[in-house]
This record gives sequence, structure tokens and C-alpha cells, in this order.
Amino acid sequence: MKSIVIIPAYNEEKSIVKTVNDIKENAKGFDYVIVNDCSTDRTLEICKENNLCVLNLPINLGIGGAVQTGYLYAYKNGYDYAVQFDGDGQHDAKFLGEMRDYMESHDVDLLIGSRFIEKEGFQSSGLRRFGIKYFSHLIKLLTGVRITDPTSGMRMANRSVMEIYANCYPKDYPEPESAVAILNVGKKIEEYPVVMREREEGVSSISPIRSVYYMIKVTLAILVEALRR
Amino acid sequence: MMTAKIQIIIGIILIVALMAIINMIRKRRLELKYALSWLVAIAFVLVLDCFPSLLNKISRILGIWAPVNMIFFLGFCFSLMIIFVLTVTLSRMSERVRKLSQAVALNEEKIEELMKELSEEAS
Repeated sequence: MKSIVIIPAYNEEKSIVKTVNDIKENAKGFDYVIVNDCSTDRTLEICKENNLCVLNLPINLGIGGAVQTGYLYAYKNGYDYAVQFDGDGQHDAKFLGEMRDYMESHDVDLLIGSRFIEKEGFQSSGLRRFGIKYFSHLIKLLTGVRITDPTSGMRMANRSVMEIYANCYPKDYPEPESAVAILNVGKKIEEYPVVMREREEGVSSISPIRSVYYMIKVTLAILVEALRR
Repeated sequence: MMTAKIQIIIGIILIVALMAIINMIRKRRLELKYALSWLVAIAFVLVLDCFPSLLNKISRILGIWAPVNMIFFLGFCFSLMIIFVLTVTLSRMSERVRKLSQAVALNEEKIEELMKELSEEAS
């Protein structure tokens, strides 16, 4: 089974090598691909210097477009499993093998790494947890499926989901919306307990000012997604 | 209602605008497809400018008391329409740009991979 880790990277010069080393050491049997989303720092140069596998986007597409590029690459190159993995050191590569084993032995199309099943490790700030709970309830209400960590950026897809995402993936703040999108076409989502760290470098793409936009946009996106059924 | 003077001034402005747009299309700075709505609008106003009595007739048909209000109303609707069409076009464009840049990124990686293989074979 061919598996690949998709690492979207925007200005991750300080942590990208560490992230790749983590994958090489702790996720045996996984290939990886970095998607450099037109970083303004030396991310691309560092990738090239260290001979890392990198897809270089000529213009900045945002997190959604970057992740989608990874899915496109994975799908075109015949990978059976593709997993999204943050380049800023929040995610832990040792869970990847377990997640793949779980997918192989269960009938799951998308497996989301959730912080909130065993409630270990970094649990995010109170306000963010509230937002996450809100989305979790909204998704439950609209689809009947309970996802404890709908904003988690650590998620493993099989080929059928990869194909859908390669064609169509939300542009910004894509996680909750993209989960609902595949639930609507009858795909199966499950969660797997993982532990996440607090980010080491870089800042979250969701600043306080943007969080209002985030809540409104993602809510509407989920509602529209539900209308598409 | 309209003096001949303002009729001529408006007519000149419209014809200058029309020539400017046609010139831009000629120089390929403006695509005919997107300029079409402006050309139609200019033609429409030009007709009204030449036959002001039409204005009164149309506003009476629409049930608008003052012809000026009708101009504001129609102008507003027309502007909104063009802006909306532009938003739709923009969405389509950004989708195309996204697909293009993803294809570029994938191809670049493929080229580098091939170059590496080639240089390995050569050595």
C-alpha cells in the first residue's frame, strides 16, 4: 500500500526540515510531499538544499489550494492513502502508521486525527474549543455524524476521497466544510485519537480579527454544503 | 425638458466613450465579450439622447412619474448587473488560475525528477 504525507507549507523555514525528519523517522513506509504555497521566506531554498520533495506553487493559493495540490499529486501518482500533516510541528508523525493500519482494517474513507477523544496533549484555547464544539454540533445537526475535532488538519484519505478533493476543495478554512462535502456523497468518516503539540514556529492562520469571518464563512459553507445534497 | 445644448454635450461624451472603448478592443486591451454590455448601454443612451420623447414614453409605461428617476433606476440596475457579472467572471477566473498553478507545480516537480534521472544516467 502506497501512502503519502502532504505537508502544506507557507513560511515554515524554521520547522519544515524538522517535520520531514519526524516523518522519515517515525512514519516508516510513508512518502511525503511538501507543497510550498509561494512562501516569502526561505522555505523553498531550504527544501532544495536538503533535497526534499517539494511542489512549488507559482502563486499563493491559500491553505485549501495548497492541500488540494497535494491530493492531486497523490491521486495522479497512484497513492492508496494520503494524509494531511501540518508543517509547523503541531502534528506527531508517530500516529500516521497507526492511522493507516486502522484505515486498512476498517471501512473508512476519511480518518480524522482528533485531539478530543482521549483529551491528551495540547487542547487549544478555551475560545477555540468553543468554536470547534459549535462546528461539531452543527455538523451533527446537518449530517447526523459526530466529529469531535472538525477543524483538525491531520486527516487521512483513501483514493475515493482523494479523487473528490483533487477536483473540488474549499479555498480557505477548508477543514469542516470538506468533511461535510464528502459525508454528503455517502463517504464514511471516523476519528482516531491523536495527541497534538502547541505550534513551535509561525502563527495560526486564524487571527482574532479573522475569527469572526471564520465563524460566519465556515457556518455558511457548511449550510451550503448541506443544500448540495 | 432637455435643451439642445445638453443633448449635444451628452452626445459628444457618449461618442467619445464609444470610440475609446472600440479603440481599446482594437488594441486588444479589452475583450469584446466583456465590453459588449458597455457598448449596448452606450447605444441605448445614445438613442434616448437623440429622441428625448422616448424617455417620457418609457417612464409612463413603467409607471414612473419623473423621467429622471427612471434614468437613475435603470442606471442603477444596469450597474448592479455588470458588477454581478464581473463577480461571476472573477470566481471562474480564480478557479482557472488555481488549476493552472497546480498544474505548473506538478509539472515542475516532474521536470526536476526527470532532470535528476537524466544526470544520474549520464554519470
